[in-house]
Amino acid sequence: MRMLEHLGWRVVRADASPARTAVWVSASLLLAVLLSALLFEAAGASPAAAFAALLKGAFGSWRTASETLVAATPLIFTGLATAVAFRARIWNIGAEGQVFAGAMFAYWCQHGLAGFSPAIQLPVIVLGGLAGGGLYAGLAAILKTRFNVDEVISTVMLNYIIVYALSLLLLQGPWSEPGAFFEQSAKMDPGSLLPLLSGGSRLHAGFLLAVAAAAVVQVIMTRTPVGYEIRAAGSNLRALKVQGTSPARVILMVMMISGALAGLAGVAQVYGVHYRLKAGALTGYGYTGIIVAILGQLKPWGVVAAAIVFGALVTGATFMQVKTGVPSALIYAVEAILLLCYLAGWAAARFRLKRVAHAG
Amino acid sequence: MLADLFQTTVIVSLLAATVRIATPLLLAAIGELVAERSGVYNMGLEGTMLMGALTAYLAADASGSLWVGVFAALTTGALMSLLFAFLVITLQVEQIVTGLAMNLLGSGLSVYWLRAAFKGQSQIPATPIFDNVPIPFLSELPVIGPVLFDQKALTYLALLSVPAVWWFLYRTRPGLDLRCAGENPRALDIKGLSIAARQYGAVVFGGAMAALGGAFLTVASASRFAPEMTNGRGWLAIVIVIAGMWRPVPILVATLVFSFLDALQLQIQGIGIAIPYQLMLALPYVVAILALAVRRRHAGAPAMLGVSYRRE
Amino acid sequence: MSATQGETPRLEVRGLSKRYGPVLANDDISLAVAPAELHCLLGENGAGKSTLSACIYGLAVSDMGEILVDGQRLDLRSPADAIAAGIGMVHQHFVLVPRFTVLENIVVGTGSGLRLDLAAARGRITDLCARLHLDIDLDRRVDSLSVGEMQWVEIVKSLYLGARLLILDEPTAVLTPQESERLFALIAELKGSGIAIILITHKMNEVMRSDRVSVLRKGRLVATLTTADTTRDALTELMVGRSVATIEARHIAASQGASLSVRGLTLSAPRGSLIQAIDLDVAPGEILGIAGVAGNGQDELLETIAGIRAPRAGTITLRGEPMSSLGAAEVAGRGVGHVPSDRFRDGLARDFTIAENLILGQQWLRRWRKGPLLDRAAMAANGQDAIARYAIATTGPEQPSGRLSGGNAQKVIIAREFAKAQHLLLLNQPTRGVDVGAIEFIHAEVLAKRDQGCAVILVSEELDDLFALSDRIIVMFRNEVMGEVRRGAFDKTAIGRLMAGARAA
Repeated sequence: MRMLEHLGWRVVRADASPARTAVWVSASLLLAVLLSALLFEAAGASPAAAFAALLKGAFGSWRTASETLVAATPLIFTGLATAVAFRARIWNIGAEGQVFAGAMFAYWCQHGLAGFSPAIQLPVIVLGGLAGGGLYAGLAAILKTRFNVDEVISTVMLNYIIVYALSLLLLQGPWSEPGAFFEQSAKMDPGSLLPLLSGGSRLHAGFLLAVAAAAVVQVIMTRTPVGYEIRAAGSNLRALKVQGTSPARVILMVMMISGALAGLAGVAQVYGVHYRLKAGALTGYGYTGIIVAILGQLKPWGVVAAAIVFGALVTGATFMQVKTGVPSALIYAVEAILLLCYLAGWAAARFRLKRVAHAG
Repeated sequence: MLADLFQTTVIVSLLAATVRIATPLLLAAIGELVAERSGVYNMGLEGTMLMGALTAYLAADASGSLWVGVFAALTTGALMSLLFAFLVITLQVEQIVTGLAMNLLGSGLSVYWLRAAFKGQSQIPATPIFDNVPIPFLSELPVIGPVLFDQKALTYLALLSVPAVWWFLYRTRPGLDLRCAGENPRALDIKGLSIAARQYGAVVFGGAMAALGGAFLTVASASRFAPEMTNGRGWLAIVIVIAGMWRPVPILVATLVFSFLDALQLQIQGIGIAIPYQLMLALPYVVAILALAVRRRHAGAPAMLGVSYRRE
Repeated sequence: MSATQGETPRLEVRGLSKRYGPVLANDDISLAVAPAELHCLLGENGAGKSTLSACIYGLAVSDMGEILVDGQRLDLRSPADAIAAGIGMVHQHFVLVPRFTVLENIVVGTGSGLRLDLAAARGRITDLCARLHLDIDLDRRVDSLSVGEMQWVEIVKSLYLGARLLILDEPTAVLTPQESERLFALIAELKGSGIAIILITHKMNEVMRSDRVSVLRKGRLVATLTTADTTRDALTELMVGRSVATIEARHIAASQGASLSVRGLTLSAPRGSLIQAIDLDVAPGEILGIAGVAGNGQDELLETIAGIRAPRAGTITLRGEPMSSLGAAEVAGRGVGHVPSDRFRDGLARDFTIAENLILGQQWLRRWRKGPLLDRAAMAANGQDAIARYAIATTGPEQPSGRLSGGNAQKVIIAREFAKAQHLLLLNQPTRGVDVGAIEFIHAEVLAKRDQGCAVILVSEELDDLFALSDRIIVMFRNEVMGEVRRGAFDKTAIGRLMAGARAA
């Protein structure tokens, strides 16, 4: 910086116009694609072939496209969960654990109802998922407001804890599948499964629920007193407190809404895709949801769009691995690179170099 | 069987394991301490440790030299934290979000790199690991000898980093300036001194230390890399810095408490006491939350921690 | 003592200009300060005083012009260059590390190499303090010092770096009149050792003690005068550009009985009490002024009455009804408005539009809702009204509040709080950092509110404001009320003594 100044330039920070931000963000996302191409090269595959395989694997047919939407479904929920919390500048990193909590609580409520009609079981799993995620996130909110424990730390710790809790319940505990070796529950009762939307694909009602959730979050954020409070908390929690709105109440509310949304991701995975409760059905969606939320600019429809892109990455990656031999784990690196480049581009739009006509 | 726990040999091996297990946590926590004292909250430790573990393993495997592995980890940690520093110090991106992004990068890139490096192989090769370096005479002492003076070189380094960083922070001129950057950066700015330079230095040091901690997991202990093998140690290091009130010696104590829990867990499994292992494995995270809840106030936190400095 | 006697000036500024975006903050400014001269920079908020001092101290780089120290042209690109040239500055908001000792605060950021030689530094600083007759314990932590002592540390910090020209930015803003006297004694010592001083202020009694004064208005240097040859009125007119009508606070006989009544109000904090056994009464249509240096419990008193903090003991009654156990929203519902002292920290959400900020805290009221949704039309109409009524300079109620100037941001808060204040209005430094036009406007609004029979509490550090508006003034010091003065008996010396902690006889 000092060197720049001696050359007669100075870095100035200023508000960026939407157009300027768009240019910088596009440029940075392009950079992310180039960096990803380098990773393909490193794995010994032609980037063009790999990208083509990725696209074909994600959107090549109705079946793959519907798989993309299946993969996007939990990410819409966790992305919305993160977006709501981050809009209030409450750093809920716990969507990962709240996905588990939602699935576990839904299972706890539902598994005694085997044989009942879907009209009873489906509302139970949805409400159970909302409650499980909401309560687990509420725990972090209470830790923050009553015991001053930073929510970043507590939610991360809770993420680790619940994985062990599920393992305990499934391995030796009451939820283990009788006589089975794997850490998983027995197969779900048919009456509890989320209905499929079309024959020949795995696309289930959870996707519609996710899109509906995005619409509801959009209305809540922009049109209701609750959304007003969430946005006010994100801008100036202290001013809200001065006006008599309790910060503890707002924090609890934000965390519970956020956790409840994440909990639905768990329900969608367990009752819509895997039909069993197991860690493998639930892992990773919370953390990816953070990227989805930020790339979606913390806006509900942005989250839906970003989640579909990420769903495509997941779906396409498997095909790509078969086709080109590039490990599908690549996409996790690509996701992080996208996020970092986006953050850099967005921030860089706020800086400009200015010539200083210097006197002295 | 419980009585077995109280035999001297068992206690000595328990304590020796505590010190050994403490190494990666301590390296990462002491590095994070320096970064946070300069005002930067690096939440990307977990990802940095993972990348350190991976690159140390890959470099050691490729070169046949464990020290080349260590050097590779240090370089990786420095480079990753340089990227982090550029984002949060120069571009002033939100520190929490950027730290998370670094974790996701470390987690994604390490798995991919591992798979790409050993494409098509069903098992990845094992490297040798560092031997213990007993210190002449001292290692012969009863109890204290095997616990403190029969450890690996990286463990000695971690233990020595505590007084070294204490001396730097409290007894040197750059240390005073660095603490000032975390407390009131403007006091440096109005003397025409660069805050960014000090924070870059502190963050890069912290990243290198975290990666070194990660390297310990592969080249000094497991001999192989496994995805997510850090298993929350980066986050625990951050908790330790808070619980240790941002001071080197309490941080050492907090580290030993956490690693004792881990050592105890291994010991208990070893002698077959029937406690579900999941409970033991979850214990450090529960203790972490309790430790922060009991302490309540962020006593000792640098006043401007996590706030990017901007001249008004 | 003027710089025109042929000796080399300590500081010379030639044709300095500085532009921030569309604003020409400094327009072709030239001035000179002689060694051992006390030179005042006088001007309203936004006149360009801060920009000029920032350019001289290297915090901002001027667009045009030259700065010379002792005849040497400087190439100022950072404060380091200014310090090397012997320029020191004491900022209005102290730049100290509360958890460091006095010694560490002075030494930090100086010297080179790895070694921290505190012993040598201690020797030099002790000598410096002895010469200036300052008694500071170098090993005390700065957060245990009084405000006056912190200022000494700031001055010693500059001198330790070898300052021969010292810029003091609004140094008395946070001091009691007695502490200010002590500061002027210190300034005399500094002058005695040949140090030139630039004093930035808008207080006329301080200006009159300088050797020369430069008046800035709207970025331009209006005049540099020898202080002895001018008068307060002349300077005021130069500063404002027109003669200022002093507001006549028409004193109406307060109606009988208290509207607000506070008894034994005590608020405790982990370390001691924040306010201690406060009693006060305000009648309908009465303005009660609260004088005192900031940080003596005024904020806490108003926040407790407003329901933001819960008192440990004592009662608050408004029009006969107790409200000490109510929260801020319920207190507001009783017809209480509260303008906080730090408007961007406590009063506004920057990311919100003006219309949104105008209902902050009222988001659940029926008035602003249509069923479960917010009634945007009602909010917009309310915003339009407020913009017209309070002459807020903006293009519409959907504009974000973050871009408003200080004065216009304050008007948004005033619009919100005055609308709530049916019976009681709590004002904390309502005119701080606001330009003269807006100050007059706010004063007139306060008087209108009083004339409607609203009880008003006005906290201010500016005695002139308090004298102009108040019916009575109480003085707070260290969380207690030291005494009360009625209109007609207002006297700066007496109030100053109370502000410094002497009890009323």
